[in-house]
Amino acid sequence: MAWVATAELAGAVSNAGGLGIIGTGNCPPEWVLEQIKATRNHTDKPFGVNVMLMSPYAREVLEIVAQERVQVVTTGAGNPGAYISRLNEAGVNVIPVVASVALARRLERQGIAALIAEGMESGGHIGEIATMPLVPQIVEAVDVPVIAAGGIATGKGLVAALALGAAGAQIGTRFVCSDECIAHPNYKQKIMEARDRSTVVTGVATGHPVRCLENRLAKRFLALEKEGVPAGEIELLGVGKSYEGLIEGNTDEGSLMAGQVAGLVKDVKSVSDIIQGIMSEAEEVIDQLSAMSQKESYAYRK
Amino acid sequence: MLATVYDRLKKVIVDRLDVEETKIVPQSRFSEDLEADSLDLVELIMAIEEEFTSSNSKLEIPDEEAESIKTVQHVLDYLASQGVKGS
Repeated sequence: MAWVATAELAGAVSNAGGLGIIGTGNCPPEWVLEQIKATRNHTDKPFGVNVMLMSPYAREVLEIVAQERVQVVTTGAGNPGAYISRLNEAGVNVIPVVASVALARRLERQGIAALIAEGMESGGHIGEIATMPLVPQIVEAVDVPVIAAGGIATGKGLVAALALGAAGAQIGTRFVCSDECIAHPNYKQKIMEARDRSTVVTGVATGHPVRCLENRLAKRFLALEKEGVPAGEIELLGVGKSYEGLIEGNTDEGSLMAGQVAGLVKDVKSVSDIIQGIMSEAEEVIDQLSAMSQKESYAYRK
Repeated sequence: MLATVYDRLKKVIVDRLDVEETKIVPQSRFSEDLEADSLDLVELIMAIEEEFTSSNSKLEIPDEEAESIKTVQHVLDYLASQGVKGS
């Protein structure tokens, strides 16, 4: 979550028992270094940095992560193969985000700590497969722990991820609507107003699909894609649009990345309340399920 | 009759990329001519490794090599450099 997953949010998530992640998107290396240092002022717990491999600064950002010996790096939008050994040498745990079985298998043999299997319910850059079919296929294919992502915002979602064989869940959109997240209040408001069908996927035609909330900008993108305007031209229109939407709060003309779970997010609260809410709901669901199975086996015995 | 390396490679490409065998020539570029996206290419590389791994020699194409593979000929050159021969 570029721009909005900053030191404030990452630190709060780590303090509340999660693993906070700084999202670096297309941000320059100096900004990333500043954020790593700032996160250390918020927490003494482990945290991570997400590196978007399509960024022009990807290589430099990964070098900073290695030099700073950040505990975890997650990578998105590409194959981090070429960087894994350098990061491992520096003691960084590499957890790539993948959306296909073949890439998961290929990365596993290069020394990664775990994988994040991300379904296309997610916000931002996405793959083609939904979480429900993707996670169990990746769990089946690899021996490293698999973290499910895409479509998870609640305790129910977390339990579903565990049922699919995941060792944990990565949660994004829910945390945008937290007190600690520096996202513009207009953006948070749009997520809370979102319904089930509020997100759209742009960029399918350009080969870099992105899920965001439907607004004027998204509609214009979709119209241009339909007309067959060249990919390069369309992508130029997107430059700077995330910052405009997420930080400046222009909800009509900015790009408002969000997952399909936006329809489940109804309030802004503290990170620790969000995490506690998810964990207590998950425990309730597990209790209900195990009560169900006990009842079933009782009925079966009779 | 022994299948040549090229025949076996073509079969893998046909299976993975769903293209007509007649479209495949040594000069074919995977992205432009055979319309493979980056994830298709990862799958193809894995399938090539499987096809050309035998009980006495395991083929693993490292990422640095995989990244420079753009055409069918590149794969043939790489396989030849690894001593892969027809079955």
